[in-house]
Amino acid sequence: MLINSVILVLREVLEAAMVISVLLALSMHLRIPLRWLWLALPFTLVFTLLFAGNLDTMTDAFDGAGQEVVSASLQVLVFFCLLAVVFLAQRQRVRASDPVAQLPWIMALAVVCALVREGSEILIYIIGFATSEQHRTAVFAGSAVGAGIGVSLGVLLYAALRALPVNFASNVCYLLLAFIGAGMVMQSTMLLEQVDWLLAGEQLWDSSFLISEHSITGQLLYAVFGYEATPGINQVLLYGASLAAVVMAWWLAGFVGGKADDK
Amino acid sequence: MKRLLALFTLLFWPALSHAATPIFEIEIRGHLFQPEEIRIPENTKVKLIVYNRDSTPEEFESYELNREKVIMGGRKANIFIGPLAPGIYPFFGEFNPKTAQGRVIVE
Repeated sequence: MLINSVILVLREVLEAAMVISVLLALSMHLRIPLRWLWLALPFTLVFTLLFAGNLDTMTDAFDGAGQEVVSASLQVLVFFCLLAVVFLAQRQRVRASDPVAQLPWIMALAVVCALVREGSEILIYIIGFATSEQHRTAVFAGSAVGAGIGVSLGVLLYAALRALPVNFASNVCYLLLAFIGAGMVMQSTMLLEQVDWLLAGEQLWDSSFLISEHSITGQLLYAVFGYEATPGINQVLLYGASLAAVVMAWWLAGFVGGKADDK
Repeated sequence: MKRLLALFTLLFWPALSHAATPIFEIEIRGHLFQPEEIRIPENTKVKLIVYNRDSTPEEFESYELNREKVIMGGRKANIFIGPLAPGIYPFFGEFNPKTAQGRVIVE
């Protein structure tokens, strides 16, 4: 039971920790005060409680597709937030202009949306076992260990991003955000296929013999790059398109709105 | 005319195929899947209805099928899978992975 709890909670925390670490590092590079994170946390808590508390009603909505539709919408919203973050952050950088006022708000929204689903899954899991005397201790301890490892990896990534030269580190942040965002879009398509809102395409390849999704490497790659061992054609196409969109936003930021050169 | 017909078929394919989607039912009882093995035809989309008869929540999860869904105690969940190539696709209950193990056999 203990090891199961460690793995389950670690999986959920890892993805959220990556998003927060990269946004925090980027925020520091751009000298944006970290108020936005403190603002995001209470909202995350409230929405997590709401999500977990209403999951059964939500599941039955839309003819049984509610859970997936809400989760997929949150993930797509995270993608658009990250897209906007890359665009606005890069624009602020190339123009050496004043901080863009919306940027911290968008970062906060991204964090709230990214955390709600993972948070409520952990909550449902822990509450489910809270009444079982047999498993309670193991589940609580395992969850704490899993969360600890996840947060530590997040701190490690943050420290690494902060240790790099600022310009280079910002580019690494954009790249990581692009991968995380594309991973979210890919996840959302699987959820929509799960409830038949999207037609499932053909499976394109099976790389599970190389890196299994069950393995630690697979889980880490999943958290950062949205790794899937057996993706369908929809997933691969949308993953590519999402990556391209972020890179495009990154590149366009230097041109759109003019006056990029005469700072 | 043929092209138009093809276009129509393409557009309404989801609706058409929906009507013929075979349904398979699985129960979760005592953190076990019953049955723990289901056989489905190849290259066919099917609808799984998973009933959680336990009072505790469970998460239906499968890396091979790319599916995951939390099912609260006493509730049910619809999960569409396929069309799939022949093979064995394991699934498990993420909250009780020691006991809740099952597989979809596509043939």
